[in-house]
Amino acid sequence: MVRFVRIIPNLKLYGAPGFFMSMNQPKHEENHSLTSGKSLIWLGRWLQPTGSRAVAMSVIILALIGAVSELVYQTGGTSFAWLHLMYVPIILAAACFGIYGGIAAALVAGFALGPLMPMDVATHLPQTTFNWVIRIGFFLLVGAFSGVISNLLNGQIKRLRQTNERLVQAHEDLKNAQMMLIQTAKLESIGRLAAGLAHEVKNPLAVIQLGVDFLSRMTPPENRDAIETIQEMGDAVQRADTVIKGLLNFSRSEKLTLVAMDLNALIEDSLVLVRHEFSKNRIALEKDLAAGLPKVGLDQGKVKQVLINMFMNAVQAMGTDGSLSVKTFIEPGTPGQSVGILIEDTGSGIPVDKLDKLFEPFFTTKPVGSGTGLGLSVSKNIIEMHGGSIKIGNRTGARGVVVTIKFPVPNTN
Amino acid sequence: MIKKKILAVDDEEGITRMLKRNLESTGRYDVRTENSGSAALAALSQFLPDLILMDFMMPGMDGGEVAGKIKEDQRFSQIPIVFLSAIVKKDETKPTGSNIGGLMFLAKPVRLDDLITCIENHIRK
Repeated sequence: MVRFVRIIPNLKLYGAPGFFMSMNQPKHEENHSLTSGKSLIWLGRWLQPTGSRAVAMSVIILALIGAVSELVYQTGGTSFAWLHLMYVPIILAAACFGIYGGIAAALVAGFALGPLMPMDVATHLPQTTFNWVIRIGFFLLVGAFSGVISNLLNGQIKRLRQTNERLVQAHEDLKNAQMMLIQTAKLESIGRLAAGLAHEVKNPLAVIQLGVDFLSRMTPPENRDAIETIQEMGDAVQRADTVIKGLLNFSRSEKLTLVAMDLNALIEDSLVLVRHEFSKNRIALEKDLAAGLPKVGLDQGKVKQVLINMFMNAVQAMGTDGSLSVKTFIEPGTPGQSVGILIEDTGSGIPVDKLDKLFEPFFTTKPVGSGTGLGLSVSKNIIEMHGGSIKIGNRTGARGVVVTIKFPVPNTN
Repeated sequence: MIKKKILAVDDEEGITRMLKRNLESTGRYDVRTENSGSAALAALSQFLPDLILMDFMMPGMDGGEVAGKIKEDQRFSQIPIVFLSAIVKKDETKPTGSNIGGLMFLAKPVRLDDLITCIENHIRK
């Protein structure tokens, strides 16, 4: 069997396609035990029928019993060799359905051959009721014995499968943790760079800004080209300053000031600040805030920053005449429950190939100059510092983006 | 009209030059520039400004230290000080300056109009 599996090494097992193969350099010992484990799982999977496969297996077993009985009838019960073929469907039934399958098949086989008795007698074979009982006894013995072995084997297979699933899960967790570590390290180095960079860049920007202001005062208003040029230079300085400001968000030693508070109230506060943008762009707001949300520890300023960021992204994605839905909910779960907010817009959505890049620093889909590409990565950072999670995806069944943010409810025990 | 006297302190000469040129072009201010904390302290007794515009992060004595020494000296303790800083963010300060821990801060890069508003709000009358 080990050899068999090696012949088809890409056999996919239990939703973990290529998991073992994907480990870069598996140690020999580990590889060996996994391979034999795989053989057992493969065998178990092949022999364990479910649903329609069980019906097909039963039909095959019954057909085999019928065929063997027919052979025995055809030879007038003269050949014991044909009789021994009856063990094939019995063992097959035991392998497929365990001990009960084996016993059931043995009984069916025994009774199928029952009518042979008179013929046996007629053909002068030493067949008697006693022999028939002995024959059923052997069938039952073989059926039960193979059934017990099959049951043991299946138990083993089940345990192996569970171990396999746990291994896959552990590997997934490890991969995620590693990704997070890489991401954190990346953010930290950006942060360190940003603090130094911000100071070094802001001074020359200050010189340029003051220079621009000086020139615009000194330029006669009738020289429109010069005034416009100076104005554009001033705008460019402000844009550069916005990028630096975004960068500075990383460089702060971000300590949270957590206060147990109602998420709904914070959402209401944040919505007040963007109300003007909503009405300016004729965006309808649908609020569905769940009553009686348990309080969670939130840094009011930072979470508000995240929410406003999400609302403004939605406004920008929708343009005019959109609709924004804001819902809150309680989610039970282990180890504890969490409260969440669901924000859905009716904008253009996010291209599928961009989805996994959303939280990367400096990633933006906005036109040059209108976004720094830092908003979402800063937001994610803030939510994760709260022990929460943020997910952004496209809505199913409708156009637009759905943002889900969850915060853990502190354990009161 | 008597011109108000402003002492502008920044280790970056470009900034002090720009501040002087801009503020003096309004015709309302007389600006003296210094490029280090110690030079600023030395200039105080001769110049006696009505307001000090000062960078916060400077090599040698930083803005906070210089301000501390000025406040300790009875002759100068009433002179208002406005910090021009690259390390505060614009959204943490109002464009025309914010009081952070008892000190007045303006974020760089500052627009001239905002700078003048801030100066007028705090200068000794």
